[in-house]
Amino acid sequence: MFSAQNLVSVGIAALLTAGLYAIMSYGLAIIYGVMRVINLSHAGFLMLGAFMTLVYFQRWHLDPVLGAFVNLPLFFALGWLLHRLLVRRVVTSLPVASLLLLFGLWLVIQNLALAIWGGEDQSIITAYTYKALSLFGFRVPVTRLIVFAVALSVLAVLHFLLGHTYLGKALRATVQDPTAGLLVGIDTDRISALAFGLGTAFAAFAGGLLTLLFSFNPDFGGSFQLKSFTIIVLGGLENLAGVAAGAAILAFAESYAVLFMRASLQNVVAYALLVVALIVIPGGIGSLFSQNRS
Amino acid sequence: MLTSLRAPLLLAAALAAGLAALPFLAPHDITLLNLGFLTFLYVAQGVAWNILGGFAGYISFGYAAFFGLGAYTTALLWLGGWTPALTYPVAGLAAAAFSLVVGVPTLRLVGPYFSIATIGVGEAMRILMLNLDRITGGASGLNLPTAVPSKGWFYLMALLFAGLSFATAAVVRASQFGLGLMALRLDLEAAEGLGVPTALFKNIAHALSAFIVGACGGLYATYLQFVHPDTVFGFTASISLVLIALIGGLGTLWGPVVGAVIFYAVQDYLQTRYPTFHLLAYGVLLILILLFEPRGLAGLAARLRRTVFPAAGPGAAEARAGRAR
Repeated sequence: MFSAQNLVSVGIAALLTAGLYAIMSYGLAIIYGVMRVINLSHAGFLMLGAFMTLVYFQRWHLDPVLGAFVNLPLFFALGWLLHRLLVRRVVTSLPVASLLLLFGLWLVIQNLALAIWGGEDQSIITAYTYKALSLFGFRVPVTRLIVFAVALSVLAVLHFLLGHTYLGKALRATVQDPTAGLLVGIDTDRISALAFGLGTAFAAFAGGLLTLLFSFNPDFGGSFQLKSFTIIVLGGLENLAGVAAGAAILAFAESYAVLFMRASLQNVVAYALLVVALIVIPGGIGSLFSQNRS
Repeated sequence: MLTSLRAPLLLAAALAAGLAALPFLAPHDITLLNLGFLTFLYVAQGVAWNILGGFAGYISFGYAAFFGLGAYTTALLWLGGWTPALTYPVAGLAAAAFSLVVGVPTLRLVGPYFSIATIGVGEAMRILMLNLDRITGGASGLNLPTAVPSKGWFYLMALLFAGLSFATAAVVRASQFGLGLMALRLDLEAAEGLGVPTALFKNIAHALSAFIVGACGGLYATYLQFVHPDTVFGFTASISLVLIALIGGLGTLWGPVVGAVIFYAVQDYLQTRYPTFHLLAYGVLLILILLFEPRGLAGLAARLRRTVFPAAGPGAAEARAGRAR
């Protein structure tokens, strides 16, 4: 069980999972960073993204990876709209108001999906779903490699855009200091809408990629949402680069924990890590407290 | 202080006395008695949740952990030969003890972060209980003894729980402790500066409401004669309480009572006809409430009263005085 061979193969699996986790948590981090809003409907958009990918696949035989890309503009528009109609109206009131509103939105999305597609598990089987590649003597499923590669390239493109465009720079400035951003002439309301759109788009994009690896139903996404929280808390919440680190920590912790405990207890690792990270890790939390109290 | 306490308690006592007559008037109307039982159980829990969530403003999505612990405490003691009614206080104590384990570290977190942490704790408990199959029966659940009291007994018991829960919340609200909770909700640092032991108060409020919810879990286990981690520890058990308090009016005394009645009426009506739609309805309701009337139905009622009796009568004067203060 603890042979070198085994440890390396678990390590590879963890690394590939980390890529998925990073793309899955990015949307949550971007919304939190800009708006200081915890998006409890993240799971709903993950799930909806997965179902839309299924729809494209069934109607037009669109590959799930391409389906995930189709989700990007669609859900960006949806997120933008939801920000205009709902979220913007509550961000100024109590911090828990936005949390509860988005929680209500999650209930709505989840149960609409239940009404439309029913509660059964769905899955997308492509020609390469069960294929595996041999990498340095380790067998790696093709789907995991694809998800990892796509996630990494999209994150790289986004990173470039955030660093080299006006909107990207404005967004990062708002993350660092919303008031100062406003002072130098950044339309923070517009940036918030942009962030909410991007966050929603990336959740649905990740949802599309998840269909390559997992079966899903309208309840899908709850555990991924909690894991995303763990990741962004570990990464320091507002630090977008920290998301990658948080994703890696969680993926490795989970993967190696399975060597010591039942696989069905795997999610407990993430949830325990979430609570411990929220309380103990001063990096993200320390700055977070000072901002909330000022 | 005493007058503000006496009026709601008298009204609640009169209401409870009236409702208590039902099992004697219609001892065989099982549907009505079941309806009453579940509604009162929600009232008891919603009011209890509101002590921490409403008065102190710490929104917890993790009360299923307390409900589940109470249910399993009663289940295991009952299987061990205890009389069910004697297990309820123990179930409450188990939940209260666990609330301290959770609360001492997590109640230090500011608002939304506490909420997120409680989701983690609640889900972790559910998965742990599913996996502790030697004790909890795991995914197959636990079958409990079939010899149970009558439906009328359950109805009255739930009514008693609801009454005690309401009385607790009313006493808390009128006490200095309750004032402390409301002060720390409005401004944690200012409350601390004025000498409110905020950490202690938050934990007492948490433990108090956990005790009530735990006892309710125990009562529910005897009623159902079956416990399963996914039902008693399920996320739905947690969010029901959040919805009840929000629908009725966060932080008000009567809000969760009204909220629970509406919550269960909607659930009962929709669940039989459109099994999946009741959560959709709550979601829409939640969004509407947060957009238009964050104080819930209690706020809506106050607004109606002001439009129907504009600036006249003792109620309006009181409301104005309240606002001026």
